[in-house]
Amino acid sequence: MLSVISYPVFAISVILSLVLSISLFPVGWFEFRPEWLGLMVFYWTFRAPAQFGILFAWCLGLLLDVLEATPLGVNALGMALIAFLVLTIHQRLRMYPIPQQCVMVFLLIGINQMLVHFIKQMLGGEDAGFSYLLPALSSAIVWPFVCVLLDNLNRKLG
Amino acid sequence: MAGGSAIKTIFVQGPVPGFRLLLVIVISAVVIVADARFDRLTPVRSVIGTGLAPIHWLGNAPSELEHWVAGLFTTREDLQAENEDLRARLLILERRALKYAALASENNELRRLMNSSEVLDDRVIVGEIVGVSPDPFSHEVIINKGSRDGVTVGQAILDANGLLGQVQQTSSFTSRVLLVSDSSHAVPVEVVRNGLRAILLGNGDINALELVHVPDTADIREGDLLVSSGLGGRFPKGYPVAEVASITKESGEPFVNIKATPKARLNQSRLVLVVFPPEGERDEDGNAPGQSSATVNVEPGDEVER
Repeated sequence: MLSVISYPVFAISVILSLVLSISLFPVGWFEFRPEWLGLMVFYWTFRAPAQFGILFAWCLGLLLDVLEATPLGVNALGMALIAFLVLTIHQRLRMYPIPQQCVMVFLLIGINQMLVHFIKQMLGGEDAGFSYLLPALSSAIVWPFVCVLLDNLNRKLG
Repeated sequence: MAGGSAIKTIFVQGPVPGFRLLLVIVISAVVIVADARFDRLTPVRSVIGTGLAPIHWLGNAPSELEHWVAGLFTTREDLQAENEDLRARLLILERRALKYAALASENNELRRLMNSSEVLDDRVIVGEIVGVSPDPFSHEVIINKGSRDGVTVGQAILDANGLLGQVQQTSSFTSRVLLVSDSSHAVPVEVVRNGLRAILLGNGDINALELVHVPDTADIREGDLLVSSGLGGRFPKGYPVAEVASITKESGEPFVNIKATPKARLNQSRLVLVVFPPEGERDEDGNAPGQSSATVNVEPGDEVER
């Protein structure tokens, strides 16, 4: 839990993550695109669990649903689940060293991806093996950088 | 809350925020079913999409910047060469247009003689692709024309070479286009050479479409051009869609396996044309012929398989 958080940093990070989740990405690397919004939900509920919670994550997920043209509520539910899991473990999470945090990011974003994939399947999506878990892997890899960057910004501007 | 501000509590949100999760799960279930099964939330999606238009704009900004920078470093000679090239092409196209005008009037004359009042010229507006779908398993693009420009769901989208797809969703400033190669997309087509009708399905491969339910004995060859037949009532008639690439016959199967390559450059085009169905022009002609042509169009559409 940070002592101070900066709301401008929060707003900019969320907008940037939405832009990154639709902006052009190298062709052939689409499957590896990190789940940016999931990382933001993870970070903000982890650092400021008093201010950001499940309902906030749900609203952000709704925006992602519109951007990705998935049925409304699918990603919203996934994001809310990330927020819920972070809220239940955030006290232990703060004690973990960075590599262990990365493992938790992989698990939580993986759970989110599985849920989203499962609902899409029920609504008649196509099966694509296990490649839907790749964003969880890439998210875990970028997590240390995102975390350090946002921490520094929060300390300077908060 | 008064005590909470003085002493920092460890449990910031109660023991476990399970109730909120339950609430959110129930809301999500209702919203998902309402949206996916009953299509009740299209206006909501459209409103949120309009609010998110700046996000699309920002997402496209890097490539706009790249274009701008590339434009800065173009030499005068290159521009002149391009200019001359374009002028030459314009001349060729103008000549063709002259011939086309004569042919069109002749065609209209013939159609009038045959008592059918189909309007040949469609109205189009030019749009630009400002984004692609972030989901690697769906073939969709986002264009910068929306309901404010009169775009509605179901309109056909072309590029310079052929049919690109159809509008799936609109918001005020952008709309989402489903490409012909998406696995949920189908176009009714006919072979230009002999008018053989079939359905062209996308299969998730950007370079190959599938022509289905063509009998073993049908007259179709590699290299045949497939144009939209207009029978579904969704796509206008006569735009090139694909070219037959390979035909494989397997003994014992009732239908042949036919692969076709799309004519439109699905992953390269930047400028697209949004086609407006000729409703307005039909109304100008008067209602009676418009209605009769509509009924004439519908009847063959019902019996696709002869």
